[in-house]
Amino acid sequence: MHRFKLFFSRWQNWIGILLILLYVSVAIAAPYLSPQDPRHPGMYLRVGRAVEARPLPPDEKAILGMLPFGFDVYHSLVWGSRDALEFGLIVTVCTAVFGILYGAIAGIASARLGTWMLRIADAFLAFPPIAGFVFLQQLFLTSMASMGSLGFFSPFFRQTGDAQASVPFIQYLLEKVNPLMLSLIVFSWMPYARLVNSIVLTLKQSDFIQAARALGASPFWIVRKHLIQNATGPAMVLAARDVGGVVLLQATLTFIRLGGDSVWGSMLSQGRNWVIGPGGTLLTYWWVFLPPTIAVMVFGIAWNIVGDGLSDLYNVR
Amino acid sequence: MPPFLQFVIRRFLVVPISLVLITLLLYSGVMLTPPEGRASLYYPPKMNPNMTEEQLLHFQETIIKRYHLRDPFLVQYGYWVQSLFDGTWGYSPSISESVLPALLKRTPVTLELAMYSLLFLVPIGLVSGVSAGWRRSGTYDRVFRTIAFLGTTTPSFILALVLLSTFYINLGWFAPERISLTYSLELSKATFAHHTGLLTIDSLLNGRLDIFKDAWKHLAMPIFTLSLYHWATLARITRASMIDERPKEYILSARARGLSERRVVWRHAFRNMLAPSLTSIALSATSIITGVFVAEIIYDLNGVSTVIVAAMSGTPDAPAALGFAIYSVILVLALMFLLDVLQAALDPRVREGVLK
Repeated sequence: MHRFKLFFSRWQNWIGILLILLYVSVAIAAPYLSPQDPRHPGMYLRVGRAVEARPLPPDEKAILGMLPFGFDVYHSLVWGSRDALEFGLIVTVCTAVFGILYGAIAGIASARLGTWMLRIADAFLAFPPIAGFVFLQQLFLTSMASMGSLGFFSPFFRQTGDAQASVPFIQYLLEKVNPLMLSLIVFSWMPYARLVNSIVLTLKQSDFIQAARALGASPFWIVRKHLIQNATGPAMVLAARDVGGVVLLQATLTFIRLGGDSVWGSMLSQGRNWVIGPGGTLLTYWWVFLPPTIAVMVFGIAWNIVGDGLSDLYNVR
Repeated sequence: MPPFLQFVIRRFLVVPISLVLITLLLYSGVMLTPPEGRASLYYPPKMNPNMTEEQLLHFQETIIKRYHLRDPFLVQYGYWVQSLFDGTWGYSPSISESVLPALLKRTPVTLELAMYSLLFLVPIGLVSGVSAGWRRSGTYDRVFRTIAFLGTTTPSFILALVLLSTFYINLGWFAPERISLTYSLELSKATFAHHTGLLTIDSLLNGRLDIFKDAWKHLAMPIFTLSLYHWATLARITRASMIDERPKEYILSARARGLSERRVVWRHAFRNMLAPSLTSIALSATSIITGVFVAEIIYDLNGVSTVIVAAMSGTPDAPAALGFAIYSVILVLALMFLLDVLQAALDPRVREGVLK
């Protein structure tokens, strides 16, 4: 509890936590703040005329104005926070859990196995998530296309057991799971593994672990009870920053139209030509630029503040 | 053998190991697709689009036989690695080119961007971080911390929007894309010799200062966009390690001997605290390369990432995606290698293997 108190003794950390709570409450209250159209449910709500290519300024129909083609800014802003939180938290929790387990196992495994596990983690470290994402997406498309003209039920596919086994799997994997989410999880667990591994390696020599071993505790019990509990704090520093970072990356990829479906990123991508249109400044169409920008940046800032606050407690950089 | 050379060789031997591990991983991803899908990795250029289904099936079947696509994983992997050495890396239908030549052709753009960004951000990051950490909580430090914090939290595309609107649309100082239209015609003339492919260097070699200026006009915004985030991360880590280094006794003793402040910081403290900063930037090599791709796409630089943009536009294009993945991994490994060598060159403890 000492750390808890220390954390809240700084005003910056209060701001970070309050901002995150704000996003969480907006995300939870989204259906009340801006109900979806039951006929076209989704993150985008059309309030204006579909032929209106110019983004219209705020009026009584759309309190924050409209994107091109009559989409409501406010609606997407509100639902975007739900989308961003969901994406950030799922990716981060999966990454952190996998990374922590991997690092801990590499730490208690025999020296040779541990080194190889770390070497594999280092190999992953050389893989840009953007390339991984494109790769996964193309694998999906390729396997779909190879069935495409044939159809799934053609006798040809029944003969090849290989295809039967693998097609449903990758279909399941990439249709149900967001490919960007999957590739971020696959390609960003390494920092956790490295951090936890170094903590475990130092702790392994400490007296209380030696005592637990002398008392006959099994290695898995030691990992569960002592090592992971000691490693969770420092890993949380990484996790807090990751939630922000992952959402920013998602928005970036959406903006450059490479993939991903961040609502905020897509708002900016739709309004891009109006924001940097000739003859205007950044703020000529401020309702297209400012709301999603502020939403994305404050989201990143909030999680970063919390991450920095935690890093002071656990002495992790 | 001098320890530095030993270090370089030892470090270089890690690269093939990583490369093998990563290609194994990539090919195990490919194994998730059915053999007919895998066959598309080996399609020849300009396939007849009017093939009937039976012809296509027959064609796929020959490829499957030839590259043993129904055999166990390691056999297939072996044939695939062998096929990489033919220098095409498959044919990408979305850009209508062979993958490797397409990537290599666009490499100079990417290289230019990455190289200049690193040349800017590493020295500036180190110097600003050191000065901020030395005078902790001073005015400079406070300003530094605010800017660095904003730098780490500003997404590159928002920064790009701000820059494009201000410096391109309104002021007209800088511009997106690689080169202005008037000069792009000059470049294709026979009088302009392409020695390196890097426009900033080629223009100087040809004695064309105007093209040199124009190339920089187009590089400034992507370089700034790319550098800001990584400058901020690097500088913050440097500041933190400077703060750790400051109270140490050798600094106290150097100051007690009456050395000038500048000498204490740059001669004594700086080299001792380089290791964590350079390690951190080597570890973020992936994110630098990702940043390069993103900046290229935002500013229409027509670098290597053009290949994936085309691949993501609809038609399934496994050769392009796979080739791009291998290529970007090689880029990252090269960058990591360079940064590690730089670290060893600057810090004797690293090259002697004392400091892990």
